[in-house]
Amino acid sequence: MTVTRFYNAHIIDPSQAIDGIGYLDITDSHISAVSLGQPATDATCDKKIDCKQAVLAPGLVDMRVQSADPGAEHLESLATLLAAAAKGGITALACLPNTRPVIDEASAIDSLCLRASRIGGPRLYAYGAATKGLEGAEMAELGLMAEAGAIGFTNGTSAIANSLTMRRLLAYTSMLDRPFIQHCEDPDLTEKGEMNEGETSTRLGLIGMPAEAEVIILDRDLHLLRRTGGRYHVAHLSTRAAIDAVRRAKAEGLAVTADTAPPYFLLNELAVSTYNTAFKLSPPLRSEDDRLAVVEGLADGTIDAIASDHMPVDRDAKTQPFGPAAPGASGVDTLLALSLTLVHQNHITLSRAIELLSLAPSTILDIDGGTLMPGASANFMLFRPDSSWIIKGADFASHSRITPFESHPVQGVVDMTYINGEQIYPVTALD
Amino acid sequence: MTTPTPNAHKGQSPAEAVRLSSRHLLGIEGMSPLEIRALLDRGNHFADHPTDGNSVALHGKTIVNLFYENSTRTRTSFELAAKRLGGSVLNIAVAGSSVKKGETLLDTATTLNAMHPDILVVRHNCSGAARLLSQHVDAAVINAGDGRHEHPTQALLDALTIQRRIGRIEGLTVAICGDIANSRVARSNIHLLSTLGAKIRLVCPPTLLPADIQHMGVEVYTDMESGIADADIVMMLRLQTERMAGTETPSQREYFNLFGLNQDKLNRAAPRALIMHPGPMNRGVEIDSAIADDVEKSLIHIQVEMGVAARMACLEAISLGAL
Repeated sequence: MTVTRFYNAHIIDPSQAIDGIGYLDITDSHISAVSLGQPATDATCDKKIDCKQAVLAPGLVDMRVQSADPGAEHLESLATLLAAAAKGGITALACLPNTRPVIDEASAIDSLCLRASRIGGPRLYAYGAATKGLEGAEMAELGLMAEAGAIGFTNGTSAIANSLTMRRLLAYTSMLDRPFIQHCEDPDLTEKGEMNEGETSTRLGLIGMPAEAEVIILDRDLHLLRRTGGRYHVAHLSTRAAIDAVRRAKAEGLAVTADTAPPYFLLNELAVSTYNTAFKLSPPLRSEDDRLAVVEGLADGTIDAIASDHMPVDRDAKTQPFGPAAPGASGVDTLLALSLTLVHQNHITLSRAIELLSLAPSTILDIDGGTLMPGASANFMLFRPDSSWIIKGADFASHSRITPFESHPVQGVVDMTYINGEQIYPVTALD
Repeated sequence: MTTPTPNAHKGQSPAEAVRLSSRHLLGIEGMSPLEIRALLDRGNHFADHPTDGNSVALHGKTIVNLFYENSTRTRTSFELAAKRLGGSVLNIAVAGSSVKKGETLLDTATTLNAMHPDILVVRHNCSGAARLLSQHVDAAVINAGDGRHEHPTQALLDALTIQRRIGRIEGLTVAICGDIANSRVARSNIHLLSTLGAKIRLVCPPTLLPADIQHMGVEVYTDMESGIADADIVMMLRLQTERMAGTETPSQREYFNLFGLNQDKLNRAAPRALIMHPGPMNRGVEIDSAIADDVEKSLIHIQVEMGVAARMACLEAISLGAL
């Protein structure tokens, strides 16, 4: 039995409302003590680490990551994804089922999670495809996937368009007590769409996707949810109307949660003005008013979580005219620092940021993490929230180096990441 | 130095070759009125002197016409303009080229770049393609139409046509009618004509109107008769037939009825209103043949003629490099 003490740390744990200088003891793979102030005695410690007032917080739980592995390993392998996550302070990540083959049966869940655990590092979880082949028609074997460890169900990067299919999926997943994660985007309204619809799309001659495409699907789903029960989660919320709808649904008591991703609270559609395809994302970057609504939603609790929305894309897919260029960008390397922008701009507290990035997603997905409670697995990270750096895709640990935040100055540097009491970043252990 | 040429706005003296502030000609948006006027003056000069013996601006230079969309009019117009200026022209036809074999725009650009052309004239079905190309080749790039974005030389030739016929652009009321949403010609004309002080009206069904276009300083009409009332210029746009099959509009018949230009509707315009069309025309769909062919009213053939002159001015300006 080995006890390691992290002292002189700025401990932040929203699950216990801890926010101040203190210490954390881990005994082997679990947290054994956490407290504010100076430890009374250090006689029982095998090892002591002076955190020099760096923030010690539960590891981040990234609830929306796309793995290119299996199927497109040239874009990113599980190994680089997990290494990048560890570097980003992420201790758990949830992968979308839109791999090749699609994760639409139990063995695929098993395979992905097992391969990730062999690599080690952050814990990888998988969503199951809601429909076979993600085609939006036939229900996949949700029950068997749930038994194999699927933490939720989703149709990945497309919404379930058919209302009857959606009704059945909500009803069926309610039986399994797993959330349904919806990418709210009406496929007809956004057909051939290239960017958010508005003056910018008109000036650029790009085909617009109206903001209403988000709330239309969301509103329909909320009506269905009242009838079916179950848990419904909206992924990467990006428009004011949809955020308002989630706010109303929560007030009504519906089991609705939501996340967003850094581009939607830091950027708006004007970024597309030079046809830079790094800004082609799904959903598209919205208007400034929508961006402000996302910030408000994060501050007032309407939006529960921030996810990286990591999507590996290579240069070939991006070095194209805007229309045919692939949407998506890398995210795990920058999740923490970009989210901390909200703290530095005084929209939210540091503790709220940790809640958004760690406690809330682990609660929504009902997975281990998000807390420094004694007895919990020792999944945490240490970071300096004020240390500045400039984002450079070329320096990413992820093999996917396309980012809409190239050359963007940020603050927040991860010093160490621990899983089950083991340091996984930096890889060379400190003594 | 912002004045493109010393005598750009004097009008009377023979226009001199123009130099622009940008190395490429990617769009009208952002060009200054002085630059536009200088190009028009120079185009006017070339219109009067189509085989200006002194003009050897492109002598020894290679111009590549890279057309990813079919075009007869624009491609031949650029070719003729380049040849009149003494340049060598290479036409890359899309059919049968490596483009059809899956080569990307930039692979093609890199290949062409190795041949060291001086000017690339590009047409592509994607908005922003000309700009993308300009970022990856050494040659100067002229946008000959990119998706729904811009078609700057078309706007210049349209303005040159109007200028020569009416003598001015400022204060004119121009009604642009038809498929605005999918038209790069409309966008470039809105930028150019409003920069030079014309009043722009757009006339189209709401399904062919792009979002928030009012912010570009135009008035929008869905009723053709009021839209062209007292207009000095009626500019008709082509509507692709597949957009009249129950999608954007119900049928060709209904479209012509509501938005086609016939004598009845034209009677609402200013007494000496002129008709323009960038071509190719759908006769009987967006424009009545009798009007299109009326030499008193229709500028359609003059537009084609001015195309060469305007493009000579552009090619010459681009060949001289940015200021």
